[in-house]
Amino acid sequence: MADRFAPGDRVRTRTADPPGHTRLPRYARGVCGEIVGTCGRHPLADELAQGLDSAPRAVHQVRFRASDLFGPGEDGRDHAVVVELWEDYLEPTSPDPAPEGDPT
Amino acid sequence: MSRINDVGGMVGFPAVIEEPDEPAFHADWEAHVFALNGVMLRRGVYNLDEFRDAIERMPPAEYLASSYYEKWFHAITTLLAEKGIATPEELAGG
Amino acid sequence: MSTTHDDGPLAARVRHVEALLEERGWLADGELDARIDAFAAGGSPANGAAIVARAWVDPGFRERLLADASTAIEELGMSMAAGLQVQPLVAVANTADEHHVVVCTLCSCYPVALLGPSPTWYKSEAYRSRVVRDPRGVLREFGLELPDAVHITVWDASAETRYMVVPRRPEGTDDLSEQELAGLVTRKGLIGTAAV
Repeated sequence: MADRFAPGDRVRTRTADPPGHTRLPRYARGVCGEIVGTCGRHPLADELAQGLDSAPRAVHQVRFRASDLFGPGEDGRDHAVVVELWEDYLEPTSPDPAPEGDPT
Repeated sequence: MSRINDVGGMVGFPAVIEEPDEPAFHADWEAHVFALNGVMLRRGVYNLDEFRDAIERMPPAEYLASSYYEKWFHAITTLLAEKGIATPEELAGG
Repeated sequence: MSTTHDDGPLAARVRHVEALLEERGWLADGELDARIDAFAAGGSPANGAAIVARAWVDPGFRERLLADASTAIEELGMSMAAGLQVQPLVAVANTADEHHVVVCTLCSCYPVALLGPSPTWYKSEAYRSRVVRDPRGVLREFGLELPDAVHITVWDASAETRYMVVPRRPEGTDDLSEQELAGLVTRKGLIGTAAV
């Protein structure tokens, strides 16, 4: 199955708070960032934590501006935070190129 | 779920304290807990994400009051009970 | 947050659980000691220091390291396969304009098999909560004052990859051997909370 995203893509993280274990930190939910790298395919931690079988899927390094995560800093300087996220946690920023069959 | 482990960006925690010349483990039991977890993972009693999940399910106040390897031991015993290896009473040694 | 604990009752509980598992065949006699010994002989910050020193003296290695660290470290006889599973390693290099710092906000992910156990502060809620939001302030607490112009990137090891920082080579070290250079690199430097 083709990866849904590639380096250079702008993405938005999911806002939903899943019912159990997840690896999408709260501070990085519902925020736009850019994919700067891809780190292979891995089973989804959320599913493994429930003892379920999980097919490997792409995990991406997503870079966020700290001001998008936390608002402007007290000293007026920005930094970047790179978070490694399974593609399940990501949505395209623009609805136009969204592929079919992507529920929720 | 937003659980107590998910502290990134949270405000109010104190300055970071370094321990000079810190040993790998502060006590024998810490090394034993570390190794015990490795064995249980290798034996497939539970997987790493189930282990993390078990830490995250700790009551928040207990999580924050526990040292690192106390959290590990809590998760190990939680999972040993849930996987039916031993009852909570047996694990507690009552 | 206290580092002193009354270990007595807890140590006894750990021993009790071990005995129970041995009795039921989930744990072999001596198995834990063997694992502890193997762990002590495995990962060490010295591995990271050797990698950094090689990257300082060998531009080709540096390039390979930054492109694919898991493969590059095999040139030094090291591997990320020593742990429970093979974890990808990514090395990020500090420059005059960019400083990198590593954290795991959700738990305590760290390249243990390569670098040995992480320091307790790395696993603390204080570090994990604050460094993503105010890295400059946290680094200042470590005594690392970065020039205003230096941009900071924080790497949150939230999935499978483990990260290490390649610090900048200090000035005035042209005459040092690779081994002497490795002696300059600290564990904090490999995490990004020290200059080197």
